[in-house]
Amino acid sequence: MASVSQSPVTFSGSLSSATSASDLLRSSMNGVNGVPLKTLGKGHVGHGRKGLNIVAKVRKVKKHEYPWPQDPDPNVKGGVLSHLSPFKPLKEKPKPVTLEFEKPLMDLQKKIIDVQKMANETGLDFSDQIISLENKYQQALKDLYTHLTPIQRVNIARHPNRPTFLDHVFNITDKFVELHGDRAGYDDPAVVTGIGTIDGRRFMFMGHQKGRNTKENIQRNFGMPTPHGYRKALRMMYYADHHGFPIVTFIDTPGAFADLKSEELGQGEAIAHNLRTMFGLKVPIVSIVMGEGGSGGALAIGCANKLLMLENAVFYVASPEACAAILWKTAKASPKAAEKLKITANELCKLQIADGIIPEPLGGAHADPQWTSMQIKNAILDSMDELEKMGTEELLRHRMLKFRKIGGFQEGLPVDPEKKVNMKRKEEPRPGLISDKALQGEVNKLKEQILKAKETSSINMDQNGLIEKLQREINYEFSEAAKALGIEEKLSKMREEFAKAENEQLTPSQIKNLENLKNEFNENLATAPNYGRLKYKLSLLKEITEAKTFAENYKKALPLKAKVNEKFKEVLEKPTLKQNIENIKAEIEKSGVSNIEEFDQELKEKVLEVREQVESEFVNALESSGVHVTSKVDQTSMSMIKAKVDELNAEINQIIQDVIESTPDLKNKIEILKLEIVKDKNAPSKESKEKIESLQQQIKQGVADVMSFAAVKDKYEQLQAELAELAGVGSDGSLIKEPIYA
Amino acid sequence: MNLCEQCGYHLKMSSSDRIELSIDPGTWEPMDEDMVSLDPIEFHSEEEPYKNRVDSYQRKTGLTEAVQTGIGQLDGINVAIAVMDFQFMGGSIGSVVGEKFTRLIEYATKEFLPLIIVCASGGARMQEGSLSLMQIAKISSALYDYQSNKKLFYVPILTSPTTGGVTASFGMLGDIIIAEPNAYIAFAGKRVIEQTLNKTVPDGSQAVEYLFQKGLFDLIVPRNPLKSVLSELFQLHTFFPLNQN
Repeated sequence: MASVSQSPVTFSGSLSSATSASDLLRSSMNGVNGVPLKTLGKGHVGHGRKGLNIVAKVRKVKKHEYPWPQDPDPNVKGGVLSHLSPFKPLKEKPKPVTLEFEKPLMDLQKKIIDVQKMANETGLDFSDQIISLENKYQQALKDLYTHLTPIQRVNIARHPNRPTFLDHVFNITDKFVELHGDRAGYDDPAVVTGIGTIDGRRFMFMGHQKGRNTKENIQRNFGMPTPHGYRKALRMMYYADHHGFPIVTFIDTPGAFADLKSEELGQGEAIAHNLRTMFGLKVPIVSIVMGEGGSGGALAIGCANKLLMLENAVFYVASPEACAAILWKTAKASPKAAEKLKITANELCKLQIADGIIPEPLGGAHADPQWTSMQIKNAILDSMDELEKMGTEELLRHRMLKFRKIGGFQEGLPVDPEKKVNMKRKEEPRPGLISDKALQGEVNKLKEQILKAKETSSINMDQNGLIEKLQREINYEFSEAAKALGIEEKLSKMREEFAKAENEQLTPSQIKNLENLKNEFNENLATAPNYGRLKYKLSLLKEITEAKTFAENYKKALPLKAKVNEKFKEVLEKPTLKQNIENIKAEIEKSGVSNIEEFDQELKEKVLEVREQVESEFVNALESSGVHVTSKVDQTSMSMIKAKVDELNAEINQIIQDVIESTPDLKNKIEILKLEIVKDKNAPSKESKEKIESLQQQIKQGVADVMSFAAVKDKYEQLQAELAELAGVGSDGSLIKEPIYA
Repeated sequence: MNLCEQCGYHLKMSSSDRIELSIDPGTWEPMDEDMVSLDPIEFHSEEEPYKNRVDSYQRKTGLTEAVQTGIGQLDGINVAIAVMDFQFMGGSIGSVVGEKFTRLIEYATKEFLPLIIVCASGGARMQEGSLSLMQIAKISSALYDYQSNKKLFYVPILTSPTTGGVTASFGMLGDIIIAEPNAYIAFAGKRVIEQTLNKTVPDGSQAVEYLFQKGLFDLIVPRNPLKSVLSELFQLHTFFPLNQN
């Protein structure tokens, strides 16, 4: 009796007039616009109105098609996860499609079937015919599929029945669950990503998905991803990197989707971002091209440690049709284009772009999908085994190097200058712009070069260039200084005057002005602001010029050195000399003494003799070849002199000792001196120092008196005379002089 | 500066002119000038073999390849700069171009220089096949090291036209992307889009101004103040001129 017509829910059943409080409560609590039944009831309810039907109408809810059955069975292959995927085997078997070049095979096949039918019908025995036909068929099949032209392979790669990404994945994985969405607006159906396990090992899978029939193809956009798809892949890559899943990607796309919406969403940027990110992922990545790989759209998930290709897969930068249209102006030339572009797996392996080829069954992957999937699985596991042995650094480096070495070019050979006409050439830098540090660096480099060259005896470098550069810099600095000092005006005025001077003779007044100016400049130079820089550059210039002269001298010295060495060798080879040398050597060995000073006198003299012979021969040879010897490095006399000097020193010391001993006065003084020094060490004081000094003076005087002692004096003078014989000898006996060459 | 005097329309500019415009005089040091392409996949189309084609372009334009790379100073700041030239085979990317870019980026990484790349390209060079495609990956790999590991500063300048492989790699990977007015920037060319969609593309749908509204670049900078803008950006990122004490 209460018709609450506004509310969508009405109750069926007959209502008695007695509405209890609980009824009312219930009805208003049910979310109905609370028109209490009571009030309505009070209004118009008459008695005895029975049979009122209150009907419940359920709101129309959209019926979603979910991939899971009513009752998901956890024991099915692939576990619970497989119920989440809408990708189920096709209901109808795909129609067999024959490609152009397979026609002869199909004819053979038809013939076999005809013969068999005839055999069945007529009952005659055609078995040998059948067998021969079968053999021919097998042979033809093998021949055809081992010699496929590139364009034929392209057609197989685009075959409508070719197994797709999800086909392969469900064949090879134990468990697989697809993950969706780029979390930024769309879930691209053309790119499928997910995680799963192969033989218990977990991986992240992603790839392009084409459809298996026309309806699916449209839904999947023919495998051409939009920026959303690439961003989904990027998100998954970060995810895999974060959680440590090795990545396996499957490439099968004609290219990225080319439409206005994609352009606006940043198709290029999405691909670029993917490319850059893939080089930073710390997990191993393996890419498998299972169909066609279309340029950038394929490369966006294809920067891997290993790129494998199925036997009939192709990977191109521009599709053969597009290439033919551009280069030959007609799409009919695509077979030629396909061949020239080198897009098949074989060719790419040769170019080292692809790392391996996965075999396909005869007839293409669509002939035996299971077998193909097993091959892919083995290839994945093998590559991953290899890659997982590497550490993170090595993995990143391996990926970088794989791409770094791709490319064919030539360099180092000089290029025809007329081909470089328009290229911006290197210019000489303006002075004042080079930083001090750079200059110092260059100077140091040059110095190092010279030092190194000394060892390897080859100097050829650009000292002159550097000197010029430095000189320019210094000029610039000078002019800057002049400007700063305010002399610039006067300088320029002088310059004008001199230019006007006709016969180039300066008047005395002009000369005087010039002198004054020069003095002024020199005096005030130190106050100029860039004086420091100027000085620094001047010092660099000095260093360089020194280095230059050294280098030049060295250059001259080198060939002469070589010559001298040569001559010496020649001389040694002379028969007589050689004999003498051999004799001497034998004697030395016999006497068993190695040090020249310990030879007995006889041996010494013999050695000296031989030495002199060698020297004279040597000098002769040198003079004959035009080398003028002015002084000799006389080593034995050297050592003899040294010995004599030592002897003399010893004698003198001895005499001094004797004198000191004999003169008690001196002896006392020395004792006192010793004491004082000890005292001084322990407690230095001015007094003790003075005492030490005076004592020293006295002792020296005493010894000097002794020196006038005759014997020592004689010996001393004798030694001096001997030393003076050898020209250019310092009294300390050191002599090393380079012979001066004419 | 190749601007229309009447309306200020930005016309195409050759690479040498652009270097002169951007780099202080007397500081340009080119790199790898002598790299030329071989014919790595022996691509012989009937009209002329690839090598001859390269040769004829070299003589015609006076450049050895589609890009000039080098080091210079921009308002006193040392920069590594690469300028692409559309006149040489449509600015297409081949093995040599990829290698030059990669070497420049590696040099800039080592010397901590900021990087500028002026992009003007038609895409990847078809005559070098998949090798050209891999150059894009090579450059992106070098850029990864430059940007993510060393955190240096990279500015691509997109000029007219920038299409294909460049947009799909280093052109869109900059820290600050600068585009020139009236430039044509796309990933897929106009013809390809028309073929895919079977309808004509309205004019201006791939022009800089339109794409700017869709959020693809940071700035549109005309040619006149470009050098100063770059110098300011470098200084904001703590790259200072040398003679500033």
